[in-house]
Amino acid sequence: MVDSEPPDAPDTPLTSASASGPSPDDAEDLDTAAAAVDADTGEGELERTIGLVGGLAIGVGTMVGAGIFVFPGLAAANAGPAASLSFAIGAVVALLVALPASELATAMPRSGGGYFFISRGLGTAAGAVVGIGLWLGLVFASAFYLVGLGSYAGQVFLEAGVALPVDPAVPLGVAFGVGLTALSLFGTKNTAALQNGIVVLLLVILTLFLSYGSLDALGVFGAQRMPERFFPPGGALPVLQTAALVFTSYLGFAQVATVAGDIKEPSRNLPLAMVGSVLLVGVFYVVTIFVATSAFGSARLGEFGETAMVEVARSFVGFPGALAIVIAGLLATFSSANASILSASRAVYAVSRDGIIPEAASRLNLAYGTPHVALGLAGGPIVVLAATGRVALLAEVASFLHLVMYGLICVALIRLRRERPAWYDPSFRCPAGAAVAGVGGVASVALIAFMRPASIGVGAAVMLAAYGWYRYYATDLELEGDF
Amino acid sequence: MTDTPTDDGGAQPETDRPSVLVPLAVLEGESLPNGTAELLANARVVLLGYHVIPEQTAAEQAREHFGETAMSKLDELAGELAAGGADVQTRLVFTHDEATTIDRLIYEHDCLAVLVPNSTPRVESVLVALRGTVGIGRNTRLVLGLFADADVDVTLYHTLGEGESLDDGEAFLNGVKSDLVERGIAPDRVATLVDDASVPIDAVADRAESYDAVVMGETDPSVTTFVFGMPSAQVAERFLGPVLVVQRARPEE
Repeated sequence: MVDSEPPDAPDTPLTSASASGPSPDDAEDLDTAAAAVDADTGEGELERTIGLVGGLAIGVGTMVGAGIFVFPGLAAANAGPAASLSFAIGAVVALLVALPASELATAMPRSGGGYFFISRGLGTAAGAVVGIGLWLGLVFASAFYLVGLGSYAGQVFLEAGVALPVDPAVPLGVAFGVGLTALSLFGTKNTAALQNGIVVLLLVILTLFLSYGSLDALGVFGAQRMPERFFPPGGALPVLQTAALVFTSYLGFAQVATVAGDIKEPSRNLPLAMVGSVLLVGVFYVVTIFVATSAFGSARLGEFGETAMVEVARSFVGFPGALAIVIAGLLATFSSANASILSASRAVYAVSRDGIIPEAASRLNLAYGTPHVALGLAGGPIVVLAATGRVALLAEVASFLHLVMYGLICVALIRLRRERPAWYDPSFRCPAGAAVAGVGGVASVALIAFMRPASIGVGAAVMLAAYGWYRYYATDLELEGDF
Repeated sequence: MTDTPTDDGGAQPETDRPSVLVPLAVLEGESLPNGTAELLANARVVLLGYHVIPEQTAAEQAREHFGETAMSKLDELAGELAAGGADVQTRLVFTHDEATTIDRLIYEHDCLAVLVPNSTPRVESVLVALRGTVGIGRNTRLVLGLFADADVDVTLYHTLGEGESLDDGEAFLNGVKSDLVERGIAPDRVATLVDDASVPIDAVADRAESYDAVVMGETDPSVTTFVFGMPSAQVAERFLGPVLVVQRARPEE
């Protein structure tokens, strides 16, 4: 029932004569934990195929969709120009968690990311709550991205001058949700190269757009813009509340950890991809808000809603700018939604492999080699949630569930550092580990406190249900330190 | 925690059997093509069973589901090769990208050549396409190792390059031939053939039709070794018989 490969004794059976070859180079020396997982234990070895660029693309590709293309309008409406501070706060919290998470990921480079660290570091109960929470957290996040994607698809009709009787964002989002799930089920998609290309294209468009926007905001092109009061009338509170709302735009770094089992040279590439992607998108977010709030007043931005950035681009260079941002927005929200659906199905696999939910959930479809049950368990609820169209709620619940996991990741790091079990041998060590994890953990939980009550309620209910499921189904499971 | 990639002691060939990588998509129903065991009877074969998994699926998950089936299939194929006389090692790899896997194993096992596995009714004549003197030692090592003691006719083949005369080409091949003969292959088993062709790949593919197997090199030293995207693959596609692609020496890391 439980995965039973001993990490330190891959005794090669007689049938496969070897794991031979020239002496491993330095990088492989560091990756003994990874090598043990990949090695042949009688059922074949595993190839790691995602490099640093691929890892960064997963992180960045998952994140930019939300922070740049969905949130600026909502965030500016709440916090004014200080929304850039909200994004900066989010980046700091994400970094404080990304560092400990990197250390844990190099010690346990396995599929499942945060769930895996916590179930092994803190035991089954915490693992079950986080594992089920991660699955549903990603479900909420995917639904949120889908509504964003629907908004941009709807914008296409607007730009084309086609008047629609209803706001098409939600129906289109639902349609995309169904389509993406079906594509994952039946497509033999090796879209890694495509995903990398999309991310590079996005970064190019955004760099051009934000450079132009920054110069314009600074008055280089002559049109002096009136700076708005930086802080909103409510002072610091709306800024923190907005930080909690937009934290969804930083969830992507954990997605890198969910595919840790596929990352080459994990000791080097995992920390670089996780920390690097947070830094990269953080800078983009802060500049985006600066540019957006310089172009329009915050209240006006808020009226534009999810597609505010299209109007910002239009105000700079007219229709071509708007078109570029609509295309970029479609690509970004599409890749975010796609990546999250896949991650959600990985999360389902991880908990089912361990027996927290029935093993049937990790079954593979023989014809396509795809995890059809897990994809269904991800895609079904995603479509239902996308149909609600409650952008802010979806985003906050996703953040809530992730933040609980982040808090526990930090606790797991502190505990493993203190107890030093024999199997814990990370090749990357977070500088000032205990302190960073301590602050990161507290910050994660603190951010939750600034969410709206409805989000906290839904999030807490999901966690309670997850714990209830654990008590009902998986109490006799012992996962701590189990590999 | 122990270091996993252990040395299995016997990896160094006791004979000068050339090591040849044979990649097979083991779960796609790809079986050992006819004639493979005969062709590689004198080789140290690294039999790579690979399974390409879609991106949606974690490699671990695929291994859990297909590992046993794939391994027993692979053992069966290894048995066929061993019965033909080859030394066989097996590797089973679950991968999202077979090119990465093949490339890694060529390096790990220091393989002299990779087989593009196609079937042939018999192994009696082999076309050895040679481009020039660079790395020629690896070609001759492969030919000697596989065919010196077998009843196989070897035809050395060269297409003329820019500014090369027919005499240059023949001199080059005769040099290679005398080297082969010196090292133990019967003189009457080696023939030479020179063509003046504008597109060497087409010439090789055309000539190949009258042979049972082809030995050729990787094409451009500046391109990394992605076996299947290369002209050798084009030849294999048109020729439909087995092609042994000789690998360049890897720089020591």
